[in-house]
Amino acid sequence: MSEKFILLVEDNPSDEALTLRALRKNNISSPVVVKRDGAEALDYLLARRSDSGGACALPQLILLDLKLPKIDGLEVLRRIRADARTRLLPVVILTSSREDTDLVRGYDFGANGYVRKPVDFVQFAEAVRQIGLYWLIINEPAPTAGNTCPSH
Amino acid sequence: MIHASRNLSERYSAALAHHLADPDEGILNQAYELGRKALGDGLGVLDIAMAHHSALHAAISDESRAEAMPAPTLAKAAEFLAESLSPFEMSFRGYAETNAQLVIANDNLLQSQAAAEAANRELEAFSYSVAHDLRAPLRGIDGFSQALLEDYADKIDQEGRRHLTFLRESAQQMGRLIDDLLGLSRVARAELCRLPVDLSALARNVAMQLGKAEPDRQVEIVIGDGIGAEGDAPLLRIALENLLGNAWKFTSKRAGARVEVGMMSVEGEATYFVRDNGAGFDPAYQAKLFGVFQRLHSTDEFEGTGIGLATVKRIVNRHGGRIWAASEVDRGATFYFTLGEGTPQP
Repeated sequence: MSEKFILLVEDNPSDEALTLRALRKNNISSPVVVKRDGAEALDYLLARRSDSGGACALPQLILLDLKLPKIDGLEVLRRIRADARTRLLPVVILTSSREDTDLVRGYDFGANGYVRKPVDFVQFAEAVRQIGLYWLIINEPAPTAGNTCPSH
Repeated sequence: MIHASRNLSERYSAALAHHLADPDEGILNQAYELGRKALGDGLGVLDIAMAHHSALHAAISDESRAEAMPAPTLAKAAEFLAESLSPFEMSFRGYAETNAQLVIANDNLLQSQAAAEAANRELEAFSYSVAHDLRAPLRGIDGFSQALLEDYADKIDQEGRRHLTFLRESAQQMGRLIDDLLGLSRVARAELCRLPVDLSALARNVAMQLGKAEPDRQVEIVIGDGIGAEGDAPLLRIALENLLGNAWKFTSKRAGARVEVGMMSVEGEATYFVRDNGAGFDPAYQAKLFGVFQRLHSTDEFEGTGIGLATVKRIVNRHGGRIWAASEVDRGATFYFTLGEGTPQP
């Protein structure tokens, strides 16, 4: 894998499959690394960060669920933003919740976007398409983020 | 009070004189009764002290013709005073006891309040869970039904595809139900902030959004100018979204659809209304109109979850107002509401 990749943090296997399907349906071919709880996601990011290889192996986009086992999504986001190497990574919260407190805290902690997963798959696929289009193609990432990596 | 005090003083003097001359139990009972009556008349310990003082003074003046009052007489007078004060003493004890009970009751109340707050937090956590956990499987049902339709279209016959379509519709309908229920609970929880609100502007904005969502619909929307209210703007917006949304929806089968928003005075009270010339409803079922999950039309006829008017009613109630409706089948409907105290006079 030598391309830009997406980190999907999602504990629900059905949502994972649907997100991957939506990406595939929209011809978004970036590799996707899936982590199924907050601790796994942080371990993954921190290990990448301290790679002796230097500035590599960070995802170009993180799709982050909020309600996660072990460490919840907001805490994952807070720690991503607290770390010099990961603080500029684009993070889009992709969740079921539309609670005002989650929205406010999500943005407070520095989320780049907040998208509520629709029940209707057609709408869900469209949301994923637009997120992918914007963050993987249109948006210019900060120089520290989204570097390519020879292998995962 | 002055009369009662003078009365006490006279009776006290007489009884004390009697006691000093001829001490017996009956007179002490009288001292107790004097005290009890004084307490009942709203007199205080000071009034008894004054009565005692003046009675003693009178007795000394009598005695002074002979010798100074002997110690045993003074002791008897003191005994009389103590007896007349005992009803006060008992009352104080009762008061202290009641107070102690009040302190306990207050503690219990604080505990109940803490329990209620904890229950409320639990309920919020529950709502959150409902949003997140119930929607995820629905996404699965909808998404994989769609996946079957897309990937296995050639292996499923028309009847099978129809079943899958129903499956998707059901999942989406349940998604809407969950969302609307959560909206209803948010409306109940939201803090109410009363400020002057321009309902005309709010209604125009809502109408504009309805028009944007369905640009093909031809609906004449008439919104009166200068409809002012005092209320919580975000909540009133939700109320108008539901009322105008209903009017919009139930006029969808009407040529020359017309929706009107206005304000009028009903017995001096500012009364707001949203009127349409749509499908209306049978007034016999009016009682069900504002209930949660209550619908007066089938989903085939008009879509909906049956939570909109329950939400509006809750918003109106939270403002201390009332909501009611008038309609006939096929003759449109008018929804009226008030917003309680503080609303401007029309």
